[in-house]
Amino acid sequence: MSDETLLRVREVTTTFDTPQGRLTAVDGVSFDLAAHESVGVVGESGSGKTVLSRTIMGLQPRRGVSVTGSVLLNGTEVVGATEEAKRELWGRQVAMVFQDPMTSLNPVVKVGRQIDEVLRVRLGMDRSAARARAIELLEMVGIPAAVTRYGAYPHSLSGGMRQRVVIAIALAGSPQLLLADEPTTGLDVTIQAQILNLLDEVQGRLGMSMILVTHDLGVVATRTTRLVVMYAGRVVETGTTRDVFARHRMPYTRALLESSPKVSNPSHTRLAAIPGRPPNLLDLPTGCAFAPRCAYATDRCTSERPVLEPADEPGHLFACFNPLPLRVGSPS
Amino acid sequence: MARYLARRLVTLVGIVIIISVGAFYLIHLLPGDPATVILGTGDSPQNRARLYAQLGLNRPIIEQYFVWMKNVLHGNLGISFISQVPVWTTIRAALPIDLEMIVLSQILSFAVAIPLAMSSAKRPDSWLDRFLGAFSFTMLSIPAFILVVVLVLVVAIKLAVPHTGVSSYVPLSQDWVTNLESMALPSIVLAIGSVTVYYRVLRSDLIATLQQEYITLARSKGISQRRILWRHALRPSSVALLGTAGVNIGGLLAGGFIVQYLLDIPGLGYTLVNSIGLSDYLVVQGIVLVVSIGVIVINFVFDFLITLVDPRIARE
Repeated sequence: MSDETLLRVREVTTTFDTPQGRLTAVDGVSFDLAAHESVGVVGESGSGKTVLSRTIMGLQPRRGVSVTGSVLLNGTEVVGATEEAKRELWGRQVAMVFQDPMTSLNPVVKVGRQIDEVLRVRLGMDRSAARARAIELLEMVGIPAAVTRYGAYPHSLSGGMRQRVVIAIALAGSPQLLLADEPTTGLDVTIQAQILNLLDEVQGRLGMSMILVTHDLGVVATRTTRLVVMYAGRVVETGTTRDVFARHRMPYTRALLESSPKVSNPSHTRLAAIPGRPPNLLDLPTGCAFAPRCAYATDRCTSERPVLEPADEPGHLFACFNPLPLRVGSPS
Repeated sequence: MARYLARRLVTLVGIVIIISVGAFYLIHLLPGDPATVILGTGDSPQNRARLYAQLGLNRPIIEQYFVWMKNVLHGNLGISFISQVPVWTTIRAALPIDLEMIVLSQILSFAVAIPLAMSSAKRPDSWLDRFLGAFSFTMLSIPAFILVVVLVLVVAIKLAVPHTGVSSYVPLSQDWVTNLESMALPSIVLAIGSVTVYYRVLRSDLIATLQQEYITLARSKGISQRRILWRHALRPSSVALLGTAGVNIGGLLAGGFIVQYLLDIPGLGYTLVNSIGLSDYLVVQGIVLVVSIGVIVINFVFDFLITLVDPRIARE
C-alpha cells in the first residue's frame, strides 16, 4: 500500500440476518482511495452502495450484521474493530454526510450545539471556542446569518440549509475522508447542484478524500476521478470516471448511463429505464445477477458468475462475459 | 405560545367549576349529617333545626352551593362545623405533606426509571430487558395498599428500621432527617407504582428513537454511547413520559391517600377520609377543590415541560 493510499478496501462482504434468512448486501468489494481523491460509487437502489459506505466507516447497526474482509483506513483496520476503537476514527478521520437532512438532524437540539458537540467532545475545545468555530463552519458551508442560525432548531431551516448543517457537522472534526451517501436525494433539484458544488469545493479546499455515493451518474461525472459501479452488492465495473463514461464494457453501466437524464437531450426525450427490477438479495441467481435484465445475456451468464477482468486501460475492470464493443471513434 | 397557554387556562377554569359542583353534590348525597355529629343522636328536633339554620343547611342545595362558591371566590373556604378551625388552616397544615410525598416519590421514580429504561433500550430482548419487563409487569399489578403492608411488615417490624412504621410521621419542621426517614416508606410505595409505568413508556420510546437516523449521525461523531443516550435520545423520547407523569400525579394523590391513611400520616388524604366520616362538608369540599386545582396545575406544568423538551410542539 503506497503512502498515497488513504483507504484500502479488500474483499468486503456485509451480510444481514433477516427473518427471511441471510442477506448479502455487499459482496467481495475491493477498491483503493488515494489521499485527496474523490471516488464515485454508483448503482440503483438496493445495489449495496449505502451499506458499503456504512461498512467502510464501521457504522453498521450493532446486531444482526456481519462483515468480513478488510477496510484499512489510514493504517487502521475498521472491520472487526471495537466500538471504542471506531469512535476514535469517527469524526476525526472519517465523517459522513447523510442522505436525508430531514431525519438526520436531532429535532430537539439546536443546530449550533449539534456542530459544537464534535468540537467540544472530540477536539476538547471550550464552550466559547467551540461556538466561534461552529459559527465559522456555518459560514463556510454557506449559511447566511450564521450567528442567528447557531441557535436555531432544525425544523426552522429548509432542507438545503439542513444539509449544509449536516456537512458542517461532518467537517467539524477535519476528517481526511468524507463519505457522502446520496447527499442530495432528499433535496429539491435546484438545491442539489448547490450542495454538490459545496461538497466539491470543501473537498478541494480542505484536501479531503471523498466517496460520493449516488444513483445518478450525472452527479459524479465532473466531481470524481474514479468510479465504482455496483450491482446486487458486487462491483461490476470500475475505472477512471472518463473511462467508465466513454469506454464502459458492462451492459449495466450503459443502462445506468442511458437512464440518467442529460441536459443536452432535446426536451421530451423519453428517458430509458432499465427493464425489470433489481434482484432479490436473499435469492441471488447463480450466474451474473444482471443477466435476467440484460439484452446480451447468454446461457453462460445464467450459470456462471463473471469476475472482474482488466480492460485495455490501466485500472479499468469489468465483470462481463459479453462485454460491449468499444464504439469506433469513441473519445479516449 | 401565549394563545396556547390562554386556551389551557380557560379549560382549567371550566374543569374546576365542574369538579366543585360534583364534589358539592356528592358530599350532600352521602349518608351522615353534621348535626348528628355535633349534637349526638338523642337531641331534640328543635335544636337540630336551629343548628341547621345556623349552619345554613336548611336552604336549597343550589343556594348553598352559590353561597359557598361566592365565599371561595373571596378566598374564604369557611370554618369547619366540627372543629371550628378555618378550613384553609387545616389544608395549609396538611398540603405540604402531600407535596413532599409526591416530590420525593417522583424524584425517586425518575432516578430509577430513566437508567433502567436506557439499559433496556440499549439492548432490547436481552436477558436484562426481559427480566425488567417481567419484573415491572409484576410490580404494576400489585396495588399500593398491599405494598404498604408488606413493606411495613418487612422494614418496620422484621428489620426494625426506626421511624418507618405506622404512626411514625415526624413533621419536616421538627427534624428533617427523621422526617425523611418517616417519609421514605410511603414515598417508595408511591414510587414503585410510578417507576413501572415510566420505565415502560420511556423504554419503548427510547427504542423507537434509537432507530432514528439522527442517532446514527450522532454515533458517527464518535461520541460515547452514554452521551448519545442522555444528550440525543432522552429528550426526544420523553414527550410521552412527561404526559404520562402529568396524568399519573392525579392517581398518585389517590394512592397517597390510602398510604397516608394506613400509615397515619396527617396529609390531605388522611384529613379527607376523616372529614368524610364526620360529615365535615366544608373541609371535604375545600380539600376536593384544592386537590383538583392541584392536579390540573400539575398537568399544566407537565404540558408546559413537554413544549420545552420538544420545540416542535409549541408551534401549533
